[in-house]
Amino acid sequence: MNARLTLATDVLRNLGAVVLNTLERLGRAALFLVEMLSGVPVVLRRFILIAQQLYAVGVLTLLIILVSGMFVGMVLSLQGYNTLVKFGAEESLGLMVALSLVRELGPVVTALLFAGRAGSALTAEIGLMKATEQLAGMEMMAVNPITRVLVPRFLAGVVALPLLAALFSAVGVLGGHVVGVGMLDVDAGSFWSQMQTNVDFQTDILNGVIKSVVFGIVCSWIAVFEGYDAVPTSEGVARATNRTVVYSSLSVLALDFILTALTLGDI
Amino acid sequence: MSATASRDPDILVDIRDVHFARGDRPILRGINVPIRRGSVTAIMGGSGCGKTTLLNLIGGRIKPNRGQVLVDGQSVPDLDTDALYELRKRMAMLFQSGALFTDLSVFENVAFPIREHTKLPESILRTVVLMKLETVGLRGARELMPSELSGGMARRVALARAIVLEPTLIMYDEPFTGLDPISKGVIAKLIRSLNENLGITSIVVSHDVAETCQISDYAYLMGDGRIIGEGTPAEVQQSKSEFVRQFMDGLPDGPVPYQHPSSPYVDDLTGRSP
Repeated sequence: MNARLTLATDVLRNLGAVVLNTLERLGRAALFLVEMLSGVPVVLRRFILIAQQLYAVGVLTLLIILVSGMFVGMVLSLQGYNTLVKFGAEESLGLMVALSLVRELGPVVTALLFAGRAGSALTAEIGLMKATEQLAGMEMMAVNPITRVLVPRFLAGVVALPLLAALFSAVGVLGGHVVGVGMLDVDAGSFWSQMQTNVDFQTDILNGVIKSVVFGIVCSWIAVFEGYDAVPTSEGVARATNRTVVYSSLSVLALDFILTALTLGDI
Repeated sequence: MSATASRDPDILVDIRDVHFARGDRPILRGINVPIRRGSVTAIMGGSGCGKTTLLNLIGGRIKPNRGQVLVDGQSVPDLDTDALYELRKRMAMLFQSGALFTDLSVFENVAFPIREHTKLPESILRTVVLMKLETVGLRGARELMPSELSGGMARRVALARAIVLEPTLIMYDEPFTGLDPISKGVIAKLIRSLNENLGITSIVVSHDVAETCQISDYAYLMGDGRIIGEGTPAEVQQSKSEFVRQFMDGLPDGPVPYQHPSSPYVDDLTGRSP
């Protein structure tokens, strides 16, 4: 009986510790975001800092985004054709591919790939800068590491992700065209014209852009915070990198549902 | 807390009755360390005795639980961020690891503080950086990346970066650790010559007794969060105090016990200790 009681209190205690710990980290992350945002005006005046990071975060992620976009578009086309052809609606293939990409897969898959490629690299870089006392060294040189190192990386992520998502969708549509028109003999005219008439700028494209902007903010925030908050050891940096990918992916998927529900307004 | 009126203008850094604890573990238990302007002051002590903590207090990276930390008459823990950053422009810290920016070349590392704090034209910036690199003997290594440098060279580059804005105070955190004898000699010579030529006040935190005594004007010995001995290096080396003797002579056991606090050995082996 006594042993069972101890077990129960232990479980409760551990649960409490986890909850408190999570809340504390959330609070710290929020304060950190406020601190970063207050540094944004200073960094905007030194655009070269952002441009350097745009290269590291955006340009270097481009290849994986383009290749993935191509394949996703091709698969969508193949799958879509097989379903649509049963209803004799294969003319709408272009529309289906475009809507899936612009509204959902473009922002979401780009954000997931971004978290894995750029987010993890950001966390590891910042965590290692902390572990090797580079951030402390900067502080002692009277240079604020938040505005010099973290804000440019954060802003670059926020700018890069929507652009990458747009390219992902564009290349995906081309991939869909290659398979649909090139291999499955869907009429090229209806492929494009259905897309043009039925993809709405506001409800489809703009909502997709809003999603990718939100994902950009969240993924970059998580990546930069985890790096800055990492325990300055090799194990600590490894864990932080791991957390960046896991938390970013989960946040993206959960936020995607919330944003879709808000924009479609059906629920 | 305000600075007392009877402050000696000769004292650049004044640490008065400072207490500091990390959680429940006390690191500093009431230490007094005045540091004279223009001197090389050594702070020696075993690993983990709170030497680096002391430097972090002076640099304003942490705040004491009690006591005063004064730099040039300003109370460091009471400064707001802007004032602290202003003060830090006049002090430099040489980290044990060097803390060079790994994505920048040697030249750009040394140029970093100038680029951040001034708007010097590129030609003057180049001259200043090359002069500082010449001082540490690495003008020829300006194009190298930090990963291509040896430990001793990295520390010299870090030193060039530390003096590039001509600070009034340099803090050296274990400048000799992990270096070969030649590099140690080079760093020791540099610390001394920078102090004499530029009039920089230097604080050297170290556990390398020989090198540190050789270049310092005054030495403090720390143990267990307190100052356990002080004086000129010669005085410290002659000290009769058991604590000081153990440290200076490198004895494994003494007032600082060899064993980490533990339960009786036999009890532990036989499983009787809790």
